Amino acid sequence: MKVLLIEDDRDAANYMIQALDEVGHVTHHAADGETGYAMASSMDYDVLIVDRMLPRRDGLSIIESLRAENNTTPALILSALGAVDDRVQGLRSGGDDYLTKPYAFSELLARIEVLARRASPAEAATTYQVGDLTLDRLSRNVERSGEAITLQPREFRLLEYLMKHAGQVVTRTMLLENVWDYHFDPQTNVIDVHMSRLRTKIDKGKAQQLLHTIRGAGYMIRE
Amino acid sequence: MNRIWRIWKTTTFRQSGFFVLLFVLFSVFILGYIAYQTSILIQQQQIGAIDRELGQLNRTYQRSGTPGLIRGVQRMADRPGPGIYYVADPTGQQLAGNVDQIPTFVLQTPGIHSFRYEVEEPWSTEQNDNDDERRERDKREERPDRGLALVKSFQLPSGFYLVVGRDIEERRGFSAIIFEAFGWGVLWIIILSVLLGTLLARNILRRLDMISAASKKIMTGDLAERLPLTKRNDEYDRVSKNLNEMLDRIENLMAGLKEVTDNVAHDLKTPLTRLRNKVERALQHDDDPEQMRKALQATIDESDQLIRTFNALLLIARVEAGAPDGSFEPVAIDQIIEDIVDLYQPVAEDSGIELSTDLATVPHVKASRELIGQAIVNLVENAIKYAKGAKGTPRIEIGLEQHAEYIRICVSDNGTGIPEKDRQRVLERFVRLEASRSETGSGLGLSLVSAVARLHKGTLEIKDNDPGTKVLITLPKES
Repeated sequence: MKVLLIEDDRDAANYMIQALDEVGHVTHHAADGETGYAMASSMDYDVLIVDRMLPRRDGLSIIESLRAENNTTPALILSALGAVDDRVQGLRSGGDDYLTKPYAFSELLARIEVLARRASPAEAATTYQVGDLTLDRLSRNVERSGEAITLQPREFRLLEYLMKHAGQVVTRTMLLENVWDYHFDPQTNVIDVHMSRLRTKIDKGKAQQLLHTIRGAGYMIRE
Repeated sequence: MNRIWRIWKTTTFRQSGFFVLLFVLFSVFILGYIAYQTSILIQQQQIGAIDRELGQLNRTYQRSGTPGLIRGVQRMADRPGPGIYYVADPTGQQLAGNVDQIPTFVLQTPGIHSFRYEVEEPWSTEQNDNDDERRERDKREERPDRGLALVKSFQLPSGFYLVVGRDIEERRGFSAIIFEAFGWGVLWIIILSVLLGTLLARNILRRLDMISAASKKIMTGDLAERLPLTKRNDEYDRVSKNLNEMLDRIENLMAGLKEVTDNVAHDLKTPLTRLRNKVERALQHDDDPEQMRKALQATIDESDQLIRTFNALLLIARVEAGAPDGSFEPVAIDQIIEDIVDLYQPVAEDSGIELSTDLATVPHVKASRELIGQAIVNLVENAIKYAKGAKGTPRIEIGLEQHAEYIRICVSDNGTGIPEKDRQRVLERFVRLEASRSETGSGLGLSLVSAVARLHKGTLEIKDNDPGTKVLITLPKES
């Protein structure tokens, strides 16, 4: 995956470039808004990571200009501003996701991988399949090796989101945002309890576990 | 001097000055107009009377000739009064009348004239003076024995001159009295207005001086000082009262800020110290990768908790600063509660807590869905912590009631409850009761709920559920 990182903090940028390199992503770096905009509009990237407050040109205006040029490269906005209205403003300017500083690298990684995948057209599928687990989005049937699994509506949406991003790490906050549509940070492990219930329903008594807990990051569904 | 200058500079004084000026100008105009119209009217009446007498004398002349005329004039002249009568032969020699001399221009041009004349005075050297010189001297000397005449001269067919008129000195005296009275009146008005203006301005200045003295004291740091109030409850008192309320709010905020700084120092420094200790210990175990990994994981958890506390603080600050306009939209509170129950049901079940709802149908209210959601989440998380201590089955119920003016969200549990003396205190930032010290949490949960309620113009109350706690958020239906 080819990533453009527009971030003026050298230390944070170096750390991120190194960490992305370790997981096999090529990262280009721009240290100010103008350079970042020039690079983003002249080269092809799979995903942009844009800091909101940048010297010479702010992050939101870079994304706005790119969108005005029909450049749809998915963009993740990084910001020290975390209030709900800041997030709304960020997404309205054309950003695809919003992450508040300080963040865990695992969270950032999970989000950009999901973003990069979102750009590919596979997501219109009506059925998802992971191993012998199938989910039909229209009839809302879930089967594992031909056996029907009964899910609560919310469990269905959880599984749907996980299967849509099969093979990718999905963090707890991503689940809370996408399945419940809330952006707060619960103190208790509410998501874990939901996941353990879901796991009981789809994996219990099966030789192959599909739902995996990724330590320090979140969850992933894969064969 | 300085004081007078300040009074002069007050708005009140200037305004009263302006009104006096306006009043004087207006009065001068009105009185001047009246005087002018009156003098015209009187003059017309006098000219009318003069015309009648001229006609009468003319008829006498036609009837009885020159001697009759002279007699008639003499008769009229002998009557007491302001009448002026004069008859002269074609050479200008006086034949009869009560005036010694008539200026020659009056005799030579028939018509209406006005001139000064000698009253009952013997012939003098002034006989040959021309009119201009006379007028000059009149102005200089203001001689009382000189009258002012309004006359009509007429030349008879026989060449005789006939002059009939009125002394109008009296009328001028009358006008002078009016104008004098008017002048005095205006003078008094000016004096009184200046006095009154000064008095008013001084009063206002005194009030404002009191207020500004008090505000200076406040500015130098004495936040407990308040602006003085009087019993009059006038506009100054109303303004002062508002300012005092503002000062109360500022004082509260300052106290809050100080408290927060103290608490931040404590509640952020403590975990930072722990964090530092953990890293230090990890370094000591650099020979044991497993120990080191554990210690590092612990530091991440600790820093996550710190970030959470920090975020909560920032969020409270944002909420207390007020919502940007238009960020509120109609939201279904019952839907938010159902979402949250859906989210927390599994956790509650795992802890053996019965989580139930009792939701009335309520209209949508203008609110922030995220903040209301966060507030209810905080209450539910608190309730889960407290309900664990319940005797018997722990229960949490989230209710939603509809009232005429407001809706009420009610989160109640049957747990250990909050002692009455602590119920107000728990709303403050970083306050954690002894009972919950062992649990994770920042001590900011209820502060945020309280701030969110205030942002929505609502209230937060903590009540006894006997046993347990009942927390009520009351939101106005229209905010």
